[in-house]
Amino acid sequence: MEIDKKIGETLTKKRNRFKLSDTLILLIIMVAIFAFFTLANRQFIAYENISSMLRNMVITGILALGLTPLMIARGLDISFGSNLSLTTVIIALLYTAGVNIWISLLAGIILSTLIGFINGIIIEIFDLIPIILTLGIMAILQSLALVASNAKTVAMLTDDLYYFASKSILKIPMPVFILIAIILIFWFLMSFTKIGRTIYVIGANPNAAFLSGIKIKKVRILLYTIMGFMVGISSVIMISLTGVGYPYHGVNLPLPTLSAVLLGGISLAGGSGTILGTLIGVLIVTMIFNGLSVMNLPSYYIQIFQGLTLILFVASYEIRNRKRSQSR
Amino acid sequence: MNNRVKDSFWSKINIFNKNSITPSLIIVYLAMIIFFSSLNPLFVSLQNIKGILANLGINGIMAVGLTVVILTGNFDLSIGSVLGVTAVICAKLFNIQNATIPIPIIILAGIMVGVIIGALNGFLVTVVGINSIITTLGTLAIFRGLAYMYATEASLIYNDRFLFIGRGYLFKDIPLTFVYMIAIIVIMYLILRFTKFGRNIYFTGANFYASKLAGINTRRNIFVAFIISGIAASIGGILMSSQLAFGQGVFGIGFEFRILTICVLGGISLAGGRGTLVGVLVATLILGSISNGLTLINVPINWRETFQGLILIIAILIDSIRVRRRELLKS
Repeated sequence: MEIDKKIGETLTKKRNRFKLSDTLILLIIMVAIFAFFTLANRQFIAYENISSMLRNMVITGILALGLTPLMIARGLDISFGSNLSLTTVIIALLYTAGVNIWISLLAGIILSTLIGFINGIIIEIFDLIPIILTLGIMAILQSLALVASNAKTVAMLTDDLYYFASKSILKIPMPVFILIAIILIFWFLMSFTKIGRTIYVIGANPNAAFLSGIKIKKVRILLYTIMGFMVGISSVIMISLTGVGYPYHGVNLPLPTLSAVLLGGISLAGGSGTILGTLIGVLIVTMIFNGLSVMNLPSYYIQIFQGLTLILFVASYEIRNRKRSQSR
Repeated sequence: MNNRVKDSFWSKINIFNKNSITPSLIIVYLAMIIFFSSLNPLFVSLQNIKGILANLGINGIMAVGLTVVILTGNFDLSIGSVLGVTAVICAKLFNIQNATIPIPIIILAGIMVGVIIGALNGFLVTVVGINSIITTLGTLAIFRGLAYMYATEASLIYNDRFLFIGRGYLFKDIPLTFVYMIAIIVIMYLILRFTKFGRNIYFTGANFYASKLAGINTRRNIFVAFIISGIAASIGGILMSSQLAFGQGVFGIGFEFRILTICVLGGISLAGGRGTLVGVLVATLILGSISNGLTLINVPINWRETFQGLILIIAILIDSIRVRRRELLKS
């Protein structure tokens, strides 16, 4: 009997070795999409397009990275779009009122961090469903942005920010370096430190985490606050890229960002997902968006494709997971 | 416990039982009427009340559909897009060259749109097993895109009979949309309360695994709930295209938020399995009157969504406190 068991184990081990990991499959899909768009339109791999694609990727990327640990710990924040709109408006208003540029940028980052903190506090104290509360917060922030800006764009053209947005080093646009730095920090935190492991434990089994003495609520509030901070950084980049504070800057951000995170293998059930997966998710979403734009398709096709990819990817994850649990 | 056994017929149809949120909602509503009418007497004029009621119908009908989905413990974000697609398709069907399609067929086609989208949502949630929020987030994007795609050219509706469906009045004073809303709420209330299907919907949301073990076909119930939500949203789309006399891709943007606010305010617990449509009816009245009242006391339009967001947050706080109290009482 025992020998049979051992043989069975080695067999499953061998079979597991042949199974492609999720990340590898994602990478292959990404390369396939890249090849498809390259074949469809040569402009896709022109330097100008790639660099603009990278630039567009930065904001989605930073927001998705902020969401990743939060969603691994079973939290969720969808108010980041209107949080970003409000922050850009406030920064631009402060600047036009004569405040020093760095102080106004700092004030904006503090504001968005505070909003993330408030989200976390309310959700954790009252045990609310995160998506519903942040939906309410989203509406409030959106209308506050409209009130503050009187539904107009607020110009903020400064040499410093323009320099930051337009300059490239080694042909790589400057904002991309911020993204890379944030990726490295998050990757290090999630893979090698105690806080990263704590986050995974909270997401995988909150009860066990609670019993083993982890302060779940504090960690989650911290993660909401970090998400707010990421929104602050993206607002600064958004302002430097566009030169205006605009109450609708963030309206079209939630869907691509959430899709990127979910494509990357994070589930709403928590506990699974990696920084690398999120990064590939962001790349896929950006490439689809950019590729369709280069092919001169109207914007509603992009929306349809974003919805389709979201559903297809998540459906394939569900089917794969079910097969795996059945074969066990 | 003994009281349960002696459930009289009266306690069965009594909509104001102890646990209900409805009495407090009605008090809030009355307080609100007094507040607004003291600031602007026009608020209680017959003309204004007619206007409020005429604008309620679509929200109320869609809230009924969303309520059924939330009762099963799921969520439907796609209702706004369903409304948009339906309105655009109805308007298109009126503008086909060299052909006049009879109104009943157009209405049927509109409702079929809702059935198809609802069935798609239900299929993805129950058979494929995707979380309902993600599913409907995806279908929200897809069908909003489709609505924009179909609405490329202006599609006005000139058919007076069709316009009467959304704009007409019963006995000269009661808006027809309000009548539909009341009819749908009453029918759905009776179904949820007195049929096996309705009870199973509540059980599915209250305890999914227990009801599965008890032999309830939970998958089928959730599937049907999504279809009901789709139909309700497409009725909203038909009524909106009839009220505005055209169809456009932007119809219904942000509705998922507004309708969710109504449901939560009406005491439909987001945990599933709790709440009745009576609360939803009062909540529909409250929200409709608030947006009207804010206009009458000259609150700028940009502030209005702040109030709606605040109401939603207060409502979910109350919901969470009620859930916690219930758990305390149990233990």
